[in-house]
Amino acid sequence: MSMPLDDDQIEIIQEFATESRDMIEQLEPAIIELGQNSDSDTINAIFRLFHSMKGSAGFLEFDHMTRVAHAAENLLDMIRNDEIELAGNHVTLLCAACDFAKEALDMIESDYNDDAMVAPADDISEQLHQAMTLAKGGGEPQAEAVEETTPAEPEPPAAQPAAEPDSLQMEITDEMRQSFVQEGNELLQNTEQGLLAWGENPDDTDSVGDIFRNIHSFKGNCGFFGFSQIEKLSHQMENILDRVKSGSSLAVDDPANRLLASLDVLQQAVNNISDGKDDTVENLDQHLSDLQAIIAPRLGDFLVEEGVENESVSRAAQTQKKPVGEILVEQGTASTQQVDQALKKQQDTIKKSKAAAKPAARTKTPAKRQDIRVELGKLDSLINLIGELVIAENMLIHNPDLKGLELENFNKAGQHLSKLVRELQEMAMTIRMIPVSGLFRRMIRLVHDISVKAGKKVELELIGEETEIDKTVIETITDPLVHLLRNSLDHGLETPDERLAAGKKEKGTIILAARHEEGEVWVTIEDNGRGLNQEKILEKAISKGLIEGDGSDMTDKQINNLIFAPGFSTAAAITDISGRGVGMDVVKKNLEKIKGKIDVHSTPGQGSKITLRIPLTLAIIDGMIVRVGTSTCIVPTLSMLEAYRPEMDQITITPDGDELAQVRDNFLPIVRLHDILGKKPDSRDLADGILIVLEAQETRFCLFIDEILGQQQTVIKGLSDFIGNVPGVSGCTILGDGDVCLILDVGTLIESAESKKIKFEKTKDNI
Amino acid sequence: MAEETTLTNFGDEDTQKDKYLTFHLAGEDYGVDIQYVIEIIGIQSITDVPDMPAYIRGVINLRGKVVPIMDVRARFGIEDRSYDDRTCIIVVNIDTTEVGLVVDEVSEVADIPENNVEPAPRTSKNSEDGYIKGMGKINNDVKILLDIHKLLFSSEMQKLAENLEEQ
Repeated sequence: MSMPLDDDQIEIIQEFATESRDMIEQLEPAIIELGQNSDSDTINAIFRLFHSMKGSAGFLEFDHMTRVAHAAENLLDMIRNDEIELAGNHVTLLCAACDFAKEALDMIESDYNDDAMVAPADDISEQLHQAMTLAKGGGEPQAEAVEETTPAEPEPPAAQPAAEPDSLQMEITDEMRQSFVQEGNELLQNTEQGLLAWGENPDDTDSVGDIFRNIHSFKGNCGFFGFSQIEKLSHQMENILDRVKSGSSLAVDDPANRLLASLDVLQQAVNNISDGKDDTVENLDQHLSDLQAIIAPRLGDFLVEEGVENESVSRAAQTQKKPVGEILVEQGTASTQQVDQALKKQQDTIKKSKAAAKPAARTKTPAKRQDIRVELGKLDSLINLIGELVIAENMLIHNPDLKGLELENFNKAGQHLSKLVRELQEMAMTIRMIPVSGLFRRMIRLVHDISVKAGKKVELELIGEETEIDKTVIETITDPLVHLLRNSLDHGLETPDERLAAGKKEKGTIILAARHEEGEVWVTIEDNGRGLNQEKILEKAISKGLIEGDGSDMTDKQINNLIFAPGFSTAAAITDISGRGVGMDVVKKNLEKIKGKIDVHSTPGQGSKITLRIPLTLAIIDGMIVRVGTSTCIVPTLSMLEAYRPEMDQITITPDGDELAQVRDNFLPIVRLHDILGKKPDSRDLADGILIVLEAQETRFCLFIDEILGQQQTVIKGLSDFIGNVPGVSGCTILGDGDVCLILDVGTLIESAESKKIKFEKTKDNI
Repeated sequence: MAEETTLTNFGDEDTQKDKYLTFHLAGEDYGVDIQYVIEIIGIQSITDVPDMPAYIRGVINLRGKVVPIMDVRARFGIEDRSYDDRTCIIVVNIDTTEVGLVVDEVSEVADIPENNVEPAPRTSKNSEDGYIKGMGKINNDVKILLDIHKLLFSSEMQKLAENLEEQ
């Protein structure tokens, strides 16, 4: 591809890259599954994926990628046809092929060719071929034969005129067989869908036409490949459909179901073919006659029922020029009465089947789910615009100019607008949400690789794959998840021997789960390994100077949280999997970036559970606007438990000067917002203001403010990078009057208050 | 200042070369390289941000964007003065970071060719902060040309950032 590429070509290539990446994403879990149980469905799925990758890569002339995909395809084909046994190293090899494809795709995306991948491609295809020859027990020439690189190969078997004209029995290569199976499957699938739709709605002649065409092409393919038995069967189906198309009546009420039954037979035959067998259909005659029965029975059949001799009927039918009935009467073999009765019966049957057809109203065929790919940038600007719209809406509805006016109609319109904006906002949020399954499935591969490397046996269980999270969040938690899984595998789970010694099952379990909880998404990683070793953690933390004192005053939770401290690593030896001591604090930092939290629970000897708590959306929260002196702030409604005006006798002041508020049975520390903001409040007297009970990470405290101004949905904007992280503040938003308003971060508020107090005391001491 | 002056991006590097936006601050004239200047707006209500050094006055809403505001007087350690209708905010953009600079009064866009720019005097104070890029001469006037980058990201700001991280 030395020619300069135009935009169209680049677009095609990019499309190819995205598609192939999707395929690889599906491939990896499938390959791992193959390693565990090699059922033919999985092999077929993998085969198909490699095959399509090869096809499109070949089309775009990415030769090296084509070569590797082809080699992988060959290997799979041999496994599938039971020519060779699936060995453990095959799985590894296929994984390597995936890795190669990924690298090649990187290359393709940047350079639009894969020329630089010669060496790795050689290497991997060589390995794949070796594996094939090895498994076949000696280099049979066939391995060579399949080696020739196939050029671009778009599917349809009809487009393979390679057949020698002089040989009657055309040489059917594996490849052609494959194409037949693939296309056949497609056609049969379409037919099936068509039949189901037709069954729902018998008046829908359009779908009958579709079914007819599909079956017709299928029959054609069968004929071309010489699969005469299924050709016959599909021919019969075609006949029936043809009759339906031309409006003839059928003898049964449920032709679609009967055709479906035959379709299953065809499908089975195609499966057999794909497994390398021939197209023999058991009880072909039976199936054919079943189909025959669908066609409206001739009057003769009923006459036979009425006691007319079978032979005479058929004789009559042969000389049929006049209606059968008349002939029979003429011949005297049947009485007029008998014929009348038979005629009536025939009418009834036809009527009945028509009546059955009628009530089915014209329901639409179920809509196919349609997706389009949208550039993320576009989506982001859409979301930003909607964010701005929310602000603009607030500015309009809460416009200071409107204060004190009675505007009934305006308010109505305003409410309507608000409702629409909210719906729009929710819709926009769901656009960004994608299920975690993709992320989780990537972990299957990771866990497989690591467990092999670390010599541990592990089963990964995925729960709640359908849970949806914001795409950015998924990207942000990918690395943390990888780290955490590595840690669980490397540090958490014991080796099989250790496990057996501890009376556990040899195979460890890691559960990766996602679910909605408390307005957040919780992603948990749970293992049944040895759990965190608190003594070791403490020892390490002390030796590294991460904590002061001997840690005896620390709670279990605090000790567990030490693993997230920068520079902490407990693995006795640093392995190449984990243990560099950079992982866990990065995990925490990444999570903080998306305002998430991380919890660790551990039971020694039983395992540990790490929970990532992630806010549902990054962009919008429900907030309570509060005022202290001249400044306003927003408190996230989610963390608010209650708000009340305190009585002085509910307030206790400790000798240290800490103020505690009694809320029912609990004493909660009071944090004064005016101290944090450095503002002058209306009154420093607690009884004059409002206390809001806030909860963050299981600690509760009261926030002292002057008053609550109202509730509002707010779009979170980051404070500028220039300012960086401000303790106690998670971001800001723009209020109705255009002012910037800080959003309080309940989690760090109390820490911020404490640090201020220390500073305050220090300055006091200095004086 | 009621009207807003927007300096559109000229796009062409050459047209912006040697051009400086000059402003008054406590009796002196200063200049900033015009390529960093996005727009000039009148003073508007600033929202306080806690735990900031005194010269970071807070943030403003600039058409939906949140822009931090630095008071240049406070930054230079010059005595405070209440804002009036001549007080302006010069919004500058460096490496996609936008910051508003509060100055007493904006004067003009001046052309100061390179050969009219003297290197910054090496005083002991300056060597620490180093946010003076040079002294620009126009006829008999002298403009103190500021190194915006250092003004915004000098060691002091970094120290602040480090302090914050420690917390």
